[in-house]
Amino acid sequence: MSSEQNTGSEVAGQVPMIELRHVEKHFGDLHVLRDINLKVGKGEVLVVIGPSGSGKSTMCRTINRLETIDSGEILIDGKPLPEEGRELAAARAELGMVFQSFNLFAHRTILDNVTMGPIEVQGVPRKEAEESAMALLERVGVAEQAAKVPAQLSGGQQQRVAIARSLAMHPKAMMFDEPTSALDPEMINEVLEVMVELARGGMTMVVVTHEMSFARRVANRVVFMADGTIMEEGSPDEFFDHPTTERARDFLDSIKGH
Amino acid sequence: MSAQTTSMRDALYEAPGPKTRRRILIGTVIAGILVCLLVFLVVRQFYVTGQLSPKYWSFFTRPTTWRFLWDGFLGTLKVAAVAGAISLVLGLVLMLCRTSHLKALNVPARIVIEFFRGVPSLLLVYFFFLVVPQYGIKMSSFWMITLPVGLAASGVLAEVFRAGVNAVPKGQVEAAMSLGMRPSKITFKIVLPQAIRFVIPSLISQFVVVVKDTTVAYVVSYPDLLQNARVLISNYDALVSTYFVIAVIYIIVNYLINRAAVTVSRRTGVKIIK
Amino acid sequence: MGISELWATYGGMYLQALLTTWAMTAVSYVIAMALAVLITVMRVCPIRPLRVLGDFYVQVFRNIAGICLLIIIVYALPNLGLTLPYRTCVIVATVLLVSAFGSENFMSGINTIGIGQIEAARSIGLGFSQTLRLVVIPQALRSAVLPMTNLAIACLLTTAIGSQVPLSPPELTGLVSYINTRTTGGIATFLISALGYVGTALVIGFVGNRIDRKVRILR
Repeated sequence: MSSEQNTGSEVAGQVPMIELRHVEKHFGDLHVLRDINLKVGKGEVLVVIGPSGSGKSTMCRTINRLETIDSGEILIDGKPLPEEGRELAAARAELGMVFQSFNLFAHRTILDNVTMGPIEVQGVPRKEAEESAMALLERVGVAEQAAKVPAQLSGGQQQRVAIARSLAMHPKAMMFDEPTSALDPEMINEVLEVMVELARGGMTMVVVTHEMSFARRVANRVVFMADGTIMEEGSPDEFFDHPTTERARDFLDSIKGH
Repeated sequence: MSAQTTSMRDALYEAPGPKTRRRILIGTVIAGILVCLLVFLVVRQFYVTGQLSPKYWSFFTRPTTWRFLWDGFLGTLKVAAVAGAISLVLGLVLMLCRTSHLKALNVPARIVIEFFRGVPSLLLVYFFFLVVPQYGIKMSSFWMITLPVGLAASGVLAEVFRAGVNAVPKGQVEAAMSLGMRPSKITFKIVLPQAIRFVIPSLISQFVVVVKDTTVAYVVSYPDLLQNARVLISNYDALVSTYFVIAVIYIIVNYLINRAAVTVSRRTGVKIIK
Repeated sequence: MGISELWATYGGMYLQALLTTWAMTAVSYVIAMALAVLITVMRVCPIRPLRVLGDFYVQVFRNIAGICLLIIIVYALPNLGLTLPYRTCVIVATVLLVSAFGSENFMSGINTIGIGQIEAARSIGLGFSQTLRLVVIPQALRSAVLPMTNLAIACLLTTAIGSQVPLSPPELTGLVSYINTRTTGGIATFLISALGYVGTALVIGFVGNRIDRKVRILR
């Protein structure tokens, strides 16, 4: 549970932080994940892109079992992801998750949102939890909003609080499920800046996003998904400049049009 | 009760793992046995008290029994329909007065609405049954039950209509004003037609309240379903079976009305105001 | 009969009737809320027979008319071997009706919580009971305040079914019938009782609104 962050990218022979092996999932008749194999190394920043309905969000959500899988294996730091109970909760506590719609606890203050996990899950004394929460809120630039409730904040501010809430648990890795898709354009950058900071600090990150500038700046690797499979993966420059598949080229053209 | 209810109550739980699945299975078996036991005990109680004896149930095979109950049901429907119509009209008028800018209109409307929402319909029934005749006003038993039920519902409907009016987007009024429409025209041509669409499911579900309120018709001796059932009971001395059947009829009728409200609400995407 | 004469003769009975109505309302409401919680737990638990039983309970008691239910409890249950005092009958009927609607209110309270709130709770490592205690129940309770206020008023009005059985002392509605079958009491007999109900309803509404404003969740 230590938050010491190693700085480099993947070291050969090291156990990957997140590993998916032959993951399959159906929603009724829909085959949403087809034989997904993926490794995310410690300190690596992986960006997942793809058209809507490609399964990218679903894949991201399987990593902390917000979505179950039909078959295959998910390993976190070399250990299989538990299926239920305390073990699952403990595993989730070590993985941060940031949602498209922020999902801050609507009935609690900003400060309470950030301290809830440490106090209730890790048993950190309230005073200590509040001090480190304030430090985190400072870091993401919303410390002066600590006493407000989520609905009083802008979308961008809420998303930064959501990131702080995850960070408060000192996660080994963080997943971002389209973190800027619900934001007004002028708020996207303030959230991306926080994410860039995190990436530079060595956090292991899986980011589902369409923000190509972000991907180019910090991603170690880009994965392109369509129809539930990983169609292509490579370095950001490789992928964005020389996509090899037709699907990827079409998709890149369509989002460039914006 | 909607599809959303079901999904949300499932969302409280994780997709179960193997241990949880086993626990749920064991719980299901135990609970299933307990529920069966409960049903058995109820039926047994009917049996040991002799209430399952054919003499209490056989007259339900006679067409005359059902014709008599049907007459009563028609009586219930007649009261409910007329009371419903009264409450619609009066509710609309009360709402228009309540939302008026004239103090002389909205203050009395507020008082009337609060009054009808705040008194039990039974008290209004006693008013028409016992008090009104003291002033030499003669009323048929039909109106003695229909008027109070309608009045009681009108207070609630006024508030339902008001919620509907509030649900009409402000932009609609602004657009109409920018076209130079007069306020009264805006109310009747723009706001009301939309507001009424917003409240249709709520109106349907309020009809359940009206149907329930009609059951006190026996107080004024109006032959509705419950009153006719009481006649049956005195003829056949079959109290438990008759009340059981009548209760089931009321439950089914009201259940169907509620279902209709939910169906319309889902089809039109309009919420039911409670 | 003039108001002063009416009050001189029956004033004490009115006060007693008001107290009876209040007492029956309070007792019924408290029991009904406890029962509503239990029914709601049954309806959301993953054990199917309990869910079905809970749903069935709610459908039966939200669709049956109060008078019909009371008559069954008073006149039919003794034939099945269960005889209750009249006052208890009224309270039992009110509790059954109000608890069904109370459970519906709790269910829609749960519905206003987004799935996202629960997913967020899981994501920070909260277990099932922690998620319920810290996120689901507080949010559901807060958004149930206004519906539960209206239900308290409905509970008050439901106790008027007590006029259909011989209660002593009678409650507010029964008293109007009691007086007018003995004397021509006139409109005042009705207005005094009505005032008792409307005044009580206004107070309940006022308190409920105050609580709601304090705990309402901004979304």
